[in-house]
Amino acid sequence: MRKPHLRLSLLVSCVSLLWIAAFATPPPRESLGIAPQDENYFRSSVIKCKDGSKQFTRDQLNDEFCDCPDGTDEPGTSACPGGKFYCRNVGHAPLTIFSSRVNDGICDCCDGTDEYDGKANCQNTCWEAGKAAREKLKKKIATFKDGVAIRNQEVEKAKQAFAKDEAELAKLKNEEKILNGLVEKLKEQKERIEKAEEEERLKKEKEEKRLKEEAEKQAIEDKKATQDSQEGNVDATLEKSSEVQLQEGNDHRTEVEDGNNQENTKSDEGDEVDDQGNIESYIGDDEPIDGLSSTPTLEEHVVESEDDNMIKAASRDDSAAKAASKTSEEQDHAPLDTEGLSKEELGRLIASRWTGENVAPKTDEVRENAKEEGDEYRLDTEIPEPAEESYDGYNSETDEEANRYEEDDFEDERDEEYNEDHIDPADSYYSDEAGKSDHSGGSSWLEKIQQKVQSVLQAFNFFKTPVDLSEASHVRKEYDDSSSKLSKLRSRISSLTEKLKHDFGKEKEFYSFYDQCFESKQNKYVYKVCPFKKASQNEGHSSTQLGRWDKFEESYRIMHFSNGDRCWNGPDRSLKVRLRCGLKNELTEVDEPSRCEYVAILSTPLLCYEERLKELQQKLDDMMRQPSTHDEL
Amino acid sequence: PFRAVPHHHHHHHHHDDASSPISRCPAAAAAALVFGIRVEEGRVPELRPDPLLQARPLPPAPLPPLLLRRRRLPLRRLPLRPPPPPSSHPSTKSSIPIPRFPRPLLLRLSALHGGILRLEIDELETASGSRRRFRVPDVLLPDVDDGLRLRLPASAPPPGPLHLPHLPRLRGRAPPRPFELVVRRSPPATPSSPSTPSASSTSRPSAPSATATATATATATASGRSASAATPTPAPRPQSVSFDVSFHGADFVYGVPSTPSPRPSPSAHPRPRRRLLRALPPVQPRRLRVPRRLPFGLYGSVPFMLAHGAGASSSSSSGFFWLNAAEMQIDVLAPSSAGRVDTLWMCEAGVVDAFFFVGPGPKDVLAQYASVTGAPAMPQQFALAYHQCRWNYRDEEDVAAVDAGFDEHDIPYDVLWLDIEHTDGRRYFTWDRALFPHPEQMQQRLAAKGRRMVTIVDPHIKRDDSYYIHKEATENGYYVKDASGNDFEGWCWPGSSSYPDILNPEIREWWADKFSLQSYKGSTPSLYIWNDMNEPSVFNGPEVTMPRDAIHYGNVEHREVHNAYGYYFHMATSDGLLKRGDGKDRPFVLSRAFFAGSQRYGAVWTGDNTADWDHLRASVPMLLNLGLTGLTFSGADVGGFFGNPEPELLVRWYQLGAFYPFFRGHAHLDTKRREPWLFGEKNTALIREAVHLRYSLLPYFYTLFREASVSGVPVMRPLWLEFPDDKETFNNGEAFMVGPSLLVQGIYQEREKSVSVYLPGEQSWYSLREGVAYGGSASHKLDVREDSIPSFQRAGTIIPRKDRFRRSSTQMVNDPYTLVIALNSSLAAEGELYVDDGKSYDFEQGAFIHRRFVFADKKLTSVNLAPANSGAKKFSSDCIVERIIVLGLPAGAKKAVIEPGNREAEIELGPLNLRAGSSPVAPTIRKPNVRIADDWTLRIL
Repeated sequence: MRKPHLRLSLLVSCVSLLWIAAFATPPPRESLGIAPQDENYFRSSVIKCKDGSKQFTRDQLNDEFCDCPDGTDEPGTSACPGGKFYCRNVGHAPLTIFSSRVNDGICDCCDGTDEYDGKANCQNTCWEAGKAAREKLKKKIATFKDGVAIRNQEVEKAKQAFAKDEAELAKLKNEEKILNGLVEKLKEQKERIEKAEEEERLKKEKEEKRLKEEAEKQAIEDKKATQDSQEGNVDATLEKSSEVQLQEGNDHRTEVEDGNNQENTKSDEGDEVDDQGNIESYIGDDEPIDGLSSTPTLEEHVVESEDDNMIKAASRDDSAAKAASKTSEEQDHAPLDTEGLSKEELGRLIASRWTGENVAPKTDEVRENAKEEGDEYRLDTEIPEPAEESYDGYNSETDEEANRYEEDDFEDERDEEYNEDHIDPADSYYSDEAGKSDHSGGSSWLEKIQQKVQSVLQAFNFFKTPVDLSEASHVRKEYDDSSSKLSKLRSRISSLTEKLKHDFGKEKEFYSFYDQCFESKQNKYVYKVCPFKKASQNEGHSSTQLGRWDKFEESYRIMHFSNGDRCWNGPDRSLKVRLRCGLKNELTEVDEPSRCEYVAILSTPLLCYEERLKELQQKLDDMMRQPSTHDEL
Repeated sequence: PFRAVPHHHHHHHHHDDASSPISRCPAAAAAALVFGIRVEEGRVPELRPDPLLQARPLPPAPLPPLLLRRRRLPLRRLPLRPPPPPSSHPSTKSSIPIPRFPRPLLLRLSALHGGILRLEIDELETASGSRRRFRVPDVLLPDVDDGLRLRLPASAPPPGPLHLPHLPRLRGRAPPRPFELVVRRSPPATPSSPSTPSASSTSRPSAPSATATATATATATASGRSASAATPTPAPRPQSVSFDVSFHGADFVYGVPSTPSPRPSPSAHPRPRRRLLRALPPVQPRRLRVPRRLPFGLYGSVPFMLAHGAGASSSSSSGFFWLNAAEMQIDVLAPSSAGRVDTLWMCEAGVVDAFFFVGPGPKDVLAQYASVTGAPAMPQQFALAYHQCRWNYRDEEDVAAVDAGFDEHDIPYDVLWLDIEHTDGRRYFTWDRALFPHPEQMQQRLAAKGRRMVTIVDPHIKRDDSYYIHKEATENGYYVKDASGNDFEGWCWPGSSSYPDILNPEIREWWADKFSLQSYKGSTPSLYIWNDMNEPSVFNGPEVTMPRDAIHYGNVEHREVHNAYGYYFHMATSDGLLKRGDGKDRPFVLSRAFFAGSQRYGAVWTGDNTADWDHLRASVPMLLNLGLTGLTFSGADVGGFFGNPEPELLVRWYQLGAFYPFFRGHAHLDTKRREPWLFGEKNTALIREAVHLRYSLLPYFYTLFREASVSGVPVMRPLWLEFPDDKETFNNGEAFMVGPSLLVQGIYQEREKSVSVYLPGEQSWYSLREGVAYGGSASHKLDVREDSIPSFQRAGTIIPRKDRFRRSSTQMVNDPYTLVIALNSSLAAEGELYVDDGKSYDFEQGAFIHRRFVFADKKLTSVNLAPANSGAKKFSSDCIVERIIVLGLPAGAKKAVIEPGNREAEIELGPLNLRAGSSPVAPTIRKPNVRIADDWTLRIL
């Protein structure tokens, strides 16, 4: 391929030199500035203006007087403001320029044909320029070729992942229905028990002495207290300290920027990043949500970064688990810790929120790790923002969403949820085995619960008076467990629903972007773009929101983030990320051309469209063919 | 509507002027003047004639007969105020002698060429060696002083008027106070006989149509400092001066430009309003429709006022100029029923150096003013084209992208501007090398497309020992000093800064040298300059400027020179560019601060406006005002500096701005980008068309600038300047004339559907867009178009255009012309074209083409207006006329014959503008191809 081309190029440059010589005298007026495809239009002796406004004779073609307001009659001169001049640029690509460029003393066409009045001395640079352009184009085509292949794979994966999530959603909805039924039944049962107990109690009250009554009351209150804590009224100090733990866990993070894109992509797909900077996700080892085969751990990509509050992607067997376990462990320590802290220690503790420094003892990590694996899986139920909202709503955390987004304490609340999971040891509807058998093997956990509930209910079918205390508590526990599971289930449903309602492109190709963030470091700032979620500019520990996900624009060529942090004296920040074909996902060239209006470029294989590749190839073919076309002249 | 007497005569008069503006002289039949000067003191001042000067014989030139008479007026007596309290500063307490009042005053009266009377009142130099009052140097043209010095009678003069030219040389005591000088145009008597009897003035007491009566009260009052509460430091001694000027026969006064914005900008803004010491707010809002609040003059002041009025039979104008750079306050009282406008002038310091201009026409007054302070400099051709500015184009890439954007969208522009961020830490004359590593190449790339660059150079010098400007200025003692004699330090963009004492000619010289290519690293010959913040702006100073007690060259206090600081800075910068180009390249310097005379050094703009419709509207009266005070090369930031214009506002602003004498888009750092192509296809097209219109009219604009540089008559004119008898035009601040031939009405409201436009004069007007004729002396309700604002060519005029659009005006040099002839009711028209090399001063030696085109009797003739042997240099051009459009020509003409050569050219119906969709409206002569440099005749058959 290479050699013949070289020879051809030599030949062409000779030819084009000749051609220049031939054109040193002005070209014939009749053809000046006319594109080959238009030549026939100008053949007749009376020619119409293209807008139909009037007609002119062939003498008036390129006679330096504008007859057609649309410029039809002066393609080769500057007489008509609206005219267009065509240069062949043999050896390079043909070019159409505004006729205002004709004979203006500036060489616009590489073949110099736009300057024929002799006042400017334009060299023919087409071959040189063309060569460079062709090389560039070839490179681009090469990128596109590879990119298209990657893209096809990605699209396939995305489609599958999407379908899988859809299926899961359907399944979850079904489970929710069943579970809801169970919970209703349990509730009914529980209420009956309570009613019975109440009756019993009243009875006893009458019968027993005052002292006994008191004792009885005490017992009931104790129960209530237990209930409360289970429902999540965790102490504030607890929240804070748990957060500290989170921070500590955050230190280990993966970065998207490095080399192996595919690997990153895969691993990132499993990662969940939440807007507010909390850990999201993790899906059990052998059951990645996207259905990909498991990937190597990302240890080699783990980069230490203390810069922001977000966890990009905890590597699956490590960071997330650590975070999770630590958090659970935190429960035991936290309240005590803060109470007993000196001012300085407290200061450190608070400071550690920003510094990510570890202030809590790390113990039992391994043990916890193993023990908590199931819980960890459960974490991915709380992912995207809207899901959080509904989740919060479910837990009746009264708040105004809008404000809370910006607040620090938002994180605390999230952590609280996190903690709660661990408080309740039975609170995992995706238990180990459930996780494993999950998608393919049907809802074995659900069946179990069903059975269990069934038996409990059956066992309790007949009331005995007095109520069997152990069985009553059994029912209560079952009720609590089940309704907690139900809430998790619902939250998972709402997060999935939230996710799936986005526009992921014509072929759902951007599905994997949902769980990815892209970063770019520019001077002192780290820019972070999380598609479908938000984008931020981070400097040290301060983070400025550049915008929340708005939409795709220009048929999936631009990702638009709007309504970012307010600019002093300016608009709300916003970011437009222009997508272009590249072999890996890479965020580059973040810029602020206008105050608080950011732009960036994201290279991604997803933009390597096959049609575009064909166009480029066509363009290259045209460029290569041009010389021979000229040869024939 | 009111119809004045047809002023054909008047028009002819002006056509004559325009034809040979250099030899413009006041009409011989013009009336004369009388001055009343009143000097009031607590006690009788001593008025002594100037012992040094002898009265000279009257030059043969046309000084109108002057009458001087003394007369007592009922005066507002200014209370004699007690001497100032001793300074709180203990050390100065004893050192400042409390002056004795009254001081002897010196009064001079001189009659200048062309109908100007100059009055000077100063303290007589005393032996005590006390500091002299400050007289603003270097503002008046050097030859102004050539006038005839007149002398007043020393003792009680005989009653009745005195004829000035025959004033006996009297010495001794001055006339009693108060002193009044009445200036009155003499009756249309015999101009050859200066000894017109005084009776003539009394015989026609009501005749003078424009009588300027100046009542001057120079009060050396004890503590007469006008409102300046912000300044804690009192003047070393009281210097305030005040007097009254009454304009007789005036309906309104114009001038005294000020007020950049209808309302103050938000105080939180980092770029503060740089308010100037109060510089005269007094133009009548009613007349000018400057929106609501008229604050103080912010950026500049020109203490020149033009009064105009129209009586039953004729109109007349007069003017008054007080050369004083201290804080000044002028009150304008509502016109009295007697057609008199009283104005009260007060100034904190300085002398009375006042000029009375007698007109009679408004253009005469402008010419008279220009003969004192100079006519506008002739700008380079490129400077009249479109300028693209933003705070800030960030780096070389940004510059390249914006430059390419214009090309990509086929929008011409000539100059790209860089605001303060291009420098290394706001050290002017330096570059931020990270952002602009290759400034020369960047400029050369622009220059390759015929484009220029402008960088900003402000007067605040960063106090940084490693900064060469600061170092030199410090070492040489070139900074303004504070009251205790140290270099004054103030806060501005770079932080702690000092300010060159630009009043000093030596320092101006030094400053000018900084613009040499050797000194200004990274500059190239295609780089021009922008002086901002030169009021001077001092962020932490009183009233955001320099303290009044800062000390300038010659022990002059800042209070005395404040309003002229920016003027000297402008001057020095302009001189620098002149030097850089070896005196061959006309400088381009845009300045924000200005003073009387700034027109000699470059352009000004109205300062920091806001992107709203009110500011768009306000720009017109402001620019008209600037033009009337000599500063014709002026503009307002297109789009509005602060804020983000809606696309519609931006488009309207471009459409209006295309007619501003200075046409620049500019925007604040915090605004969204607004390069013309960022608002969608449709708006891009609309803006492109507005800019194209400006480019096509460049030959006309250039001709008008030439006229201004000779006659002082501005490019952008209030309607009454062209129609001085038409009272209907007096209130119109929304429409304006560009030269004598174009009338433009802005659109100042969102989604305006229709607008009422008053078209003055007897002749009809042709819409620029479609050539539709509208009758004169009538208001027309017009549908508002999206693609243009209402604009009209006056019947009876010829406008030269260039209808080929290029990247920049540079490439248009060789392009052919289109002449648009709008015939009047007698099928006649005329117009002018001035062409030179667009760059150098060769035109001063005759290297220019100046043609007059006259159409009459179906014959178009090109007549040479340039003097036959006008100078050593010649300018020629091969440019031809490619198209002649004749509006108002009866249909049927098929051919034209061109002489010499007996060539024929076809005539067909053609469009008025070459744009897609335009339809043929007027007979068009195809390719007459006559050279604009030649004499020729074209006869329509």
